[in-house]
Amino acid sequence: MSSTEAIVLAKLPRSRRRHPLAVWLSLALLGVVTFLVLFGNLIAPDATAQSILDSLLPPGSPGHLLGTDELGRDVLALTIAGAASALVGPVCVALGSMVLGILLGTVSGYLRGPIDFIIGRWTDLLFSLPLLLAAIVVAGVFGAGYWMTVLLLILLFSPSDIRIVRAGVMEQAARPFVEAAQMLSLSKARIMFTQVLPNVWSLIITNSMLNVAFALVAFSSLSFLGVGVAPGTADWGRQLTDGRAIMIDNPAAVLVPALLIIGVASAANLVGDWLGQRLTRTGRS
Amino acid sequence: MLVVRVLGTLAILLVLSIIVFSMLHLAPGDIVKNLLGNRASSPEAIAAIRAQYNLDQPLYMQYLIWLGNALTGDFGQSIRLQDSVSNVIGSRLGITAALSGLAFLLALVVAVPLGVQSAVRSGSWIDRFATGFGIVGLSAPTFAVGLLLLYVFAFYVPIFPVYGAGDGGLDTLWHLVLPAVTLALGLGAIILKLTRTAMLRELETDYVTFGRARGLPDRQVHLIALRNAAIPIVTGASLVLTFLVGGTVLAETTFALPGLGTLLQGSVLFKDIAVVQALTLLVAVTIATIALLADLAYIFLDPRIRAKESAQ
Amino acid sequence: MTAQVSVTALTIDGPAGVVVAPFDFSIAPGETLALIGESGSGKTLSAKAIAGLLPAGFTARGTIALSSATIELPSTDAVWRATRGRRISLLLQDPFTSLSPVHRCGTQIGMTIDAASATRLSRDERTARITRSLAEVNLPADVARAYPHELSGGMRQRVAIAAALATDPELLIADEPTTALDASNQGEILDLLRGLQEKRGMAALLISHDLGMVRGRAEHVLVMRHGEIVERGVTSSVLNAPSHPYTRALIDADPSLTDRSARVVRGASGAGVSGSAEAKATGTTADSTTVSVDATADLVVATAVTKSFGDKTVLHGVSITVGRGETVGVVGESGSGKTTIARCIAGLERESSGVIEFEGVALAPGRASRTPKQMQIVFQDPYSSLNPMISVGRSLKLALRVAGRPASDLNGLLQLVELPADFASKRPAELSGGQRQRIAIARALAVQPQLLICDESVSALDVSVQKQILDLLAKLRVDLGLSILFISHDLAVVRQLADRVYVLRNGNVVESGQCHDVLTSPQHPYTQSLVAASIHEAAPH
Repeated sequence: MSSTEAIVLAKLPRSRRRHPLAVWLSLALLGVVTFLVLFGNLIAPDATAQSILDSLLPPGSPGHLLGTDELGRDVLALTIAGAASALVGPVCVALGSMVLGILLGTVSGYLRGPIDFIIGRWTDLLFSLPLLLAAIVVAGVFGAGYWMTVLLLILLFSPSDIRIVRAGVMEQAARPFVEAAQMLSLSKARIMFTQVLPNVWSLIITNSMLNVAFALVAFSSLSFLGVGVAPGTADWGRQLTDGRAIMIDNPAAVLVPALLIIGVASAANLVGDWLGQRLTRTGRS
Repeated sequence: MLVVRVLGTLAILLVLSIIVFSMLHLAPGDIVKNLLGNRASSPEAIAAIRAQYNLDQPLYMQYLIWLGNALTGDFGQSIRLQDSVSNVIGSRLGITAALSGLAFLLALVVAVPLGVQSAVRSGSWIDRFATGFGIVGLSAPTFAVGLLLLYVFAFYVPIFPVYGAGDGGLDTLWHLVLPAVTLALGLGAIILKLTRTAMLRELETDYVTFGRARGLPDRQVHLIALRNAAIPIVTGASLVLTFLVGGTVLAETTFALPGLGTLLQGSVLFKDIAVVQALTLLVAVTIATIALLADLAYIFLDPRIRAKESAQ
Repeated sequence: MTAQVSVTALTIDGPAGVVVAPFDFSIAPGETLALIGESGSGKTLSAKAIAGLLPAGFTARGTIALSSATIELPSTDAVWRATRGRRISLLLQDPFTSLSPVHRCGTQIGMTIDAASATRLSRDERTARITRSLAEVNLPADVARAYPHELSGGMRQRVAIAAALATDPELLIADEPTTALDASNQGEILDLLRGLQEKRGMAALLISHDLGMVRGRAEHVLVMRHGEIVERGVTSSVLNAPSHPYTRALIDADPSLTDRSARVVRGASGAGVSGSAEAKATGTTADSTTVSVDATADLVVATAVTKSFGDKTVLHGVSITVGRGETVGVVGESGSGKTTIARCIAGLERESSGVIEFEGVALAPGRASRTPKQMQIVFQDPYSSLNPMISVGRSLKLALRVAGRPASDLNGLLQLVELPADFASKRPAELSGGQRQRIAIARALAVQPQLLICDESVSALDVSVQKQILDLLAKLRVDLGLSILFISHDLAVVRQLADRVYVLRNGNVVESGQCHDVLTSPQHPYTQSLVAASIHEAAPH
């Protein structure tokens, strides 16, 4: 969501100590989830296996700690296996839009002129529609699959990255140390990427961490609406759509993935916040 | 300045309208089949469709005719609901407007005072609570929050109705409470964060220090700060709106409200392209208008900019 | 009010221990005490402590005795609420930021009046009192309807004074009240304050970095350095016979307070400069030094240079010449175009018209036509002129590589600017302002340029550090045969270094010539007023 831009830029002036406990808990949660992303399919290889006999078991049933859904799939296994689908996409979105943001934002902010104008209008256009709406419409009408959705979200996330990097680069480019590098007749590319960019990294890393959180929200929202992730896939967002109807029989089918999405997004958000404050403090002279 | 801003907005809307128009032609599958929907594809029906959508005309003419019709409120027929698009949208606009309005009001009433207090008492428990609320509110997808609320209120504390829009009037308002709270959580988190950041910055300014130095009461000092903070807060309005659009779709879907959000979801999945086109344009125009209004408010709120504008 | 304001054992503790050591003072009604110190000396913290406005992390101890109340520090919010405004008021440095930009001036004065009055005032009564407050600071009543941005800096500071004094406090603390103003406004504001103070019998604590300003405007003076009072006494005796070397250095640095040539001699020999500089010290005036200046060979000739930003023209045909080995000063107030001409010569700004020649060859606007070896620049702000993410050694090695010099020259380079070799591994954040400026000079000299442009290179530094850097530059120009283009707003600084000087005003050169001649017998009225403004404080009151 384009709110990252305002939040990242607005947060910089203050520097207040955050409670490290919350940060440690967040890091622990992210660690566990990362483990699930990497090895979830090994732990729960048969997550999508259906069994009519065992359908709609409540939590605590023998052999099914969190019960089963109406297709008889074990909710725990589904949740473990669903981590990959829920998180790989968002991380790729954050990385992809970070790369686009660095390239276009640096060029736009340092060179200015016509290139800046073109890139600026491009971001204006992408900003004129709410991200989620554009994603629903495009991914829905064109029936985009998982990786097409990732590409689409990279495109839609990139304008905020571009603007953030551009603002950071412009702020740095006006500093005397950049002019001192110009006095040494270094090439523009060299000044951009070796002198200016290192000073913008803290901004970029913070923003990308926040992007992971927002991409997770966007991704799971899309799969909740039935866009982007194919039916039958193990995925947290899909679990919510499928589980809505069986909330009475097995609440865990909805509550567990819902809390996981909220928890992971909050953790990524918190760590991003914390990282941003730490990095700006060490970078500040 | 303002003229340039208006022209820029119009240009973007124009480009957007071209993209929205081309959606019909870019959608996968045969265009006539897409437009026929479930109807039988007899040669007469196909001919009727080709005539109705001017498919035999050159592309730019098709666009111009489509745009001209759209500007007069004619977006064609919904193939899913077998009604004119404007009727379909008109009948559902009310519930969405009520939902967004209610959510916005709720968010504003809670988030602005909380943001002010959290900035004034930076580091206190109220600040910590507000910060935590901000992070969770920003991170929690609207539908996940909605489902949690649904679960709690449907099964444990059955005060509020959980599905549908009710029978109009007060009953509808009653039905809108839970969806509005759901939506207000995310909205409130954004407004809270904007308010808190702007207030923190204002509280560090010289004029706040000078206000305290000459003995103004705390309340007055905070009002001075808030009056100055209003400028960045209002500028964030488009941000709030952006969230609101996506959030409305999710909240309506979660609580099965017959509003524009569910209409969009249903139309997208059914590939009812005329409705999708109309809704997309409607949202784009609304957002552009509100962003312009926010800019106008900016001029109104800041005498320095007011002076510059009138000088030109 | 006959009792005096006295503060006893005022101490300020910061996050890392005591930042201001205990000190006492008292001020009689109608009198002024000046607290003098450089930035970071603790003078502003002291002011804030007495107004109960210390930033988070700082606490004050001590006692403030007023005629109407005695405050034991640290005190509670409730006590401060009853004290601030009514008994103690604080006037801030910058009138451009101390008033709320979105409230009318009258409203802001009215807020103070409301805060101090026990009963609710009627609309007319408030308006009348606002008008009276404005009249006291010599402003017309219609200023009440104006927003701050519609007023000049001097007028804004008057509005701030009216707002600060609307409650008739016993003690006014003025924290550098004129530093942000133009020279012409400074005297007026100080005299206005002085008049109001005598009329009301109000005590004033005047905080300043400028020792020259307090002559005739304060009865007593305290000199603070690193959180300690190093000297105190009656103003005239401190100024005439300072006992502490730091006070001496402050007086030396002030052109209005001392004889120039004596100071230059002391500066040069004190730094232990070799050969030719000694000769310079023994000469009658430093300005006549012609060490290796070859007046016939011009290094840089800028002819009729103009520059516009949008529809604003900042240079109207400026011509400047720098000879080989010569040090040329360019003096002017902010907005005079002095920095712009320097940046045009450096190629960092593209001139709109005019010709800039280097060794007789015309250079096209912009950096592309220039080489690093022709010229380098040292900027004003030591905090942003080094890349914070890159170590000092890496920055310098980069510059050496550009010049084709081996990285092993690094130590020699650091030696040149009198820094130890282990500085190479440091990050800019670990260095002081003076050290950073030395590194910036070293980076500029790494490519062995013919011309060094110093754009206000010492003006952000404390006086004592300023002198060290100026001494270093004086040494380097002799040792390396450098030509220097020295841009400054500060006559005192320019006359220490420059052979010739140009005076710029509104983008025009109004006067030029030998530094000594221009500054001792200025021809143009503007130059005369600049010189007069810098020494008028020295005239006995």
